[in-house]
Amino acid sequence: MNDIAPYIFLGALLFAIGMVGFMTRRNLIVIFLSTELMFQGVVVNLVAMGRLHGQVDGQIFALFLLVIAAVEAGLALGLVVLLYRRKGTLDAESWSTMWG
Amino acid sequence: MTEMWVILIYGTFVLGGLALYFLLPTTGRSTKMAGAIFGLAALAGAMVLCSSRFLSASGANAFFYLSASVAIGSAVLMVVSEKPVYSALYFVLVILAVTPLLLLQHAEFLAIALVIIYAGAILVTYVFVIMLSQQSGPSIYDRRARSPLVAVLAGFTSMALVAGQMAVLPQEWAIQGTLVSSEAAADAAEMAGVGSNIEMVGRAMVSRYVVALEIAGVLLLVAMIGAIVVSRKKVPAEGPGLGGLPLGKAGREVPPF
Repeated sequence: MNDIAPYIFLGALLFAIGMVGFMTRRNLIVIFLSTELMFQGVVVNLVAMGRLHGQVDGQIFALFLLVIAAVEAGLALGLVVLLYRRKGTLDAESWSTMWG
Repeated sequence: MTEMWVILIYGTFVLGGLALYFLLPTTGRSTKMAGAIFGLAALAGAMVLCSSRFLSASGANAFFYLSASVAIGSAVLMVVSEKPVYSALYFVLVILAVTPLLLLQHAEFLAIALVIIYAGAILVTYVFVIMLSQQSGPSIYDRRARSPLVAVLAGFTSMALVAGQMAVLPQEWAIQGTLVSSEAAADAAEMAGVGSNIEMVGRAMVSRYVVALEIAGVLLLVAMIGAIVVSRKKVPAEGPGLGGLPLGKAGREVPPF
């Protein structure tokens, strides 16, 4: 019997919800928010796994994941602002120039 | 017996997928009520799972149920909200609900860092960008989800498979005796004088993972320079996109920062 299965379950659910949001939403900002939600699922899983092994390595991986999330937020949101200035909309589909 | 619980795991994911599918914004008839009913059913299934002896001996307690329910509920609301500001605020709620779970796992430093960095820094960036670029009122592209059925199928099928395996595998490892109980390990670490969670994380960070730490610093610097370069770039306003999409205030030139 193990203690961490509920946490893995929760992490998988958060990841699945974020994945669905990433695929269905058309607003660029909400798409990036959904990736952050997937990060949360991964953080929960990493910490639970680290606890299962009695180590802090999972928490350190999660801290590096925070760094990546911050970097991604900074760069991606800069690009989003740039795209918005160019088209005047946040719709991801306005950038598909070939329809078929 | 085990098969029954695995079926319950998959059933919970099916119910959750149905809930999300019905809750996603559509332009047709509103199906929010059906989505809410399926969502409550999925939440009840998940609670039964977590309270069962199959999944956890002692791991789930009242704090876990409360925090996990809030986390999943606000995650769903984040994905289905039609206004991006609400999405951002629901995401703050997800983080605040995940934090107690990390505290339950004895990851105190990570919990505090998560609140400070995510809720305090990253989300503020998101809200700023939303304020810079949002048109008044919900726009047409926020009110219609893009291929919700395929997305829900893909996301929940893959995650149900992973979770179904993950919920069974650690038990097998534990039975083989390759893993020590986490509580016992934490107690042993305290006994050995390794110290608190912050001390353990700090020691590992500057000894075993020092190269990764330096690389993370370089990465942050590169991202900062990149963000400055990107946001200073002048772009010509192109006007509305193709396909006759209603674009609001399309083509309005916004001066760079």
